[in-house]
Amino acid sequence: MTRRRADVRRSAGRGRGWSHRGPLLERGAGGVAAAGTEAATARGGTRGSRHRGYAASVSFRTIDELEAALRDADYLPDRGLSTALFLALALEKPLLLEGEAGVGKTEAAKSLATALGARLIRLQCYEGLDVAHAVYEWNYSRQLLHIRAAQEGTVSEDELFGAEFLIRRPLLEAIDSEEPVVLLIDEIDRADEEFEAFLLEVLSDFQITIPEIGTIRARRRPAVVLTSNRTRELHDALKRRALFHWIGHPSIEREIDIVRLRVPGIPERLAAEAAAFVRELRGLDLSKPPGVAETIDWAMALNALGRQEIDADVVQQTLGSVLKYREDIEAIRDETLQQLVDAAKAGSH
Amino acid sequence: MPERGDAIVRHVVTFGRVLREVGLEVGPGRTIDALRALDAVDLTRQEDVYFSLRQTLVSRHDELDLFDRAFLAWFLRAPVMPPARSSGVTQPAARAVAVPVDRLEEGADEQADGDPIELGASAHELLREKDFAEMTPEEFRRIRRLMQAIARLRPRRSSRRRQADPRGNLIDMRRLVRRSLRTGGEPLERAYRSRKEVPRKLVVLCDVSGSMDAYSRALLLFLHAVVGSGRGVEAFAFGTRLSRLTPDLATRDPETAIDRCTEAVVDWGAGTRIGASLKQFNDVYGRRALTRGAVVVIVSDGWERDDPDLVGREMARLARAAYAVVWVNPLKGNPEYQPLAGGMRAALPFVDRFLPGHNLRSLEELAAVLAGIERRHAA
Repeated sequence: MTRRRADVRRSAGRGRGWSHRGPLLERGAGGVAAAGTEAATARGGTRGSRHRGYAASVSFRTIDELEAALRDADYLPDRGLSTALFLALALEKPLLLEGEAGVGKTEAAKSLATALGARLIRLQCYEGLDVAHAVYEWNYSRQLLHIRAAQEGTVSEDELFGAEFLIRRPLLEAIDSEEPVVLLIDEIDRADEEFEAFLLEVLSDFQITIPEIGTIRARRRPAVVLTSNRTRELHDALKRRALFHWIGHPSIEREIDIVRLRVPGIPERLAAEAAAFVRELRGLDLSKPPGVAETIDWAMALNALGRQEIDADVVQQTLGSVLKYREDIEAIRDETLQQLVDAAKAGSH
Repeated sequence: MPERGDAIVRHVVTFGRVLREVGLEVGPGRTIDALRALDAVDLTRQEDVYFSLRQTLVSRHDELDLFDRAFLAWFLRAPVMPPARSSGVTQPAARAVAVPVDRLEEGADEQADGDPIELGASAHELLREKDFAEMTPEEFRRIRRLMQAIARLRPRRSSRRRQADPRGNLIDMRRLVRRSLRTGGEPLERAYRSRKEVPRKLVVLCDVSGSMDAYSRALLLFLHAVVGSGRGVEAFAFGTRLSRLTPDLATRDPETAIDRCTEAVVDWGAGTRIGASLKQFNDVYGRRALTRGAVVVIVSDGWERDDPDLVGREMARLARAAYAVVWVNPLKGNPEYQPLAGGMRAALPFVDRFLPGHNLRSLEELAAVLAGIERRHAA
């Protein structure tokens, strides 16, 4: 009997949540919705949490606003990526970005920081990354010197393990920061699984415990962007906590826009032909198809050579900035190269 | 307004159910995120609605296709095309639904397996030496335990993580500083730590073409045991093309796992295109750095139907990224065997260890080699 009562109560509670949309649809600093505006503004987006607002000093009310700010930061996202970044801010959730190398995962986080006027803190992951390199470490040599310098007169442990001797690594830095922060956790798939589990804890509580000092809570929740090259699957728990966006190669129009934005003064024709050539390359069977980063590098090289358009010779000379494997460069030769150049020129007009 | 909100909630909840039916894991947490996301964007822009739902409800690249089809069908009421199988790599998501059923059966299986193996030492010895090609299903059942034990001997690497260890070789600075408080800053009393050892990544590529028929069942059993030995193992089968088997082998019951693999591998018992399969592996998984730092084991007789040169080229690519490459060839169990097959000859220069794999004894040898393997070729 009691059990059934409890069930009823629970489902009633859920019903309230669904229909009123209040507790479920709370928003961060940036998110005022287009739908259900009255209800939203009436509730005023208060969060009953210990965190004081979100990381941004600037906030965006719509995806378009964020897109414009990213554009000002010299980054041209497609609609999907702007939606992802916008939602990460509005829902206060970490964003997991996956995609082929060179599609601009890391760049997205950097530009978000610029757009928000926030500080970018980057944690580059690698096999064997541990707490001492990701969170904090004690400055042992200073500690030993300090004990000796005190000579007579005792040094207490509290003094020795105080903030003064703490080396702050990216995660602690991001959590303990006074200013708004975008925390970029780059190539999370390279870190060990033990570290991933630890990270999950940090990302759910936004607090770090140092045995000698105590628990440090985030003053402002940093906006978190994780990138992965999918060398392995990440833990479901981590994925459940994050929004997920897959970045593909950009459309040809967007890629031309990106090149023109990143290589100021590049002739329009050259930008179009370079982008079209790279697109042709991606259609081939290569060990490593070039990403946007390679297109930009290459366009810079071509522009520096004072070219107005591409031809087989100049492509041959500069191919090394687009293709990074010897096999790939060898596969693109002579007739193949001429054909690609022709196709690119035809496709860009 | 509230009616409209209710309608959205209903839509999203039902859509979540649709996604679950096609095999995506959509829990209540994700549904709530989806609702919050829709609340934050402009619902009149279809693109924004699409991305909001996709980014909150999907968390794997290989589920995007399923999601797109469900979205088209549910929100746009569009006719749905049959799933496009663009690449040769099988997509695990659609099959993942069946897992809980097998989990239920595990208990029963374990009890049956828990009985002590009623085999005298001599019978064991005989089975150890017996060629897999001549084993009966009953004998396979009996050697399962041994296979699991062998599979647990994974190659290891030292992690950057450390543990307190009085006989360790790294100084534990944190404890040393604390202890030297008593001695006025003189580090008299030392504290040590040592690096922890963790299993090294292991990638197994198993030839299931016609010429390997007699061995593929035994090798799949072994693969199943290896995948069950812990994280960081990836298993693939190839004949004319590559199939990823890791998700299929991840069930506890070997028979179920093998049935699933049989379903997943479309070109079972067909011809062999080792070069093309290796290329596919290098292109798809090598690019994602699956190979980097891994011990790669290739199980094949080396009969290449196509161009042996391609085998050589792709082996070179593989060997550059891998920590070590081991080739297991069941034919090598025959003392008369010489690696004359074109594919085998092309591959051998890039192989660190070349081993037979025709019986249990040779698998033990493989395990011993894997456990102690060192990087031999230049990086």
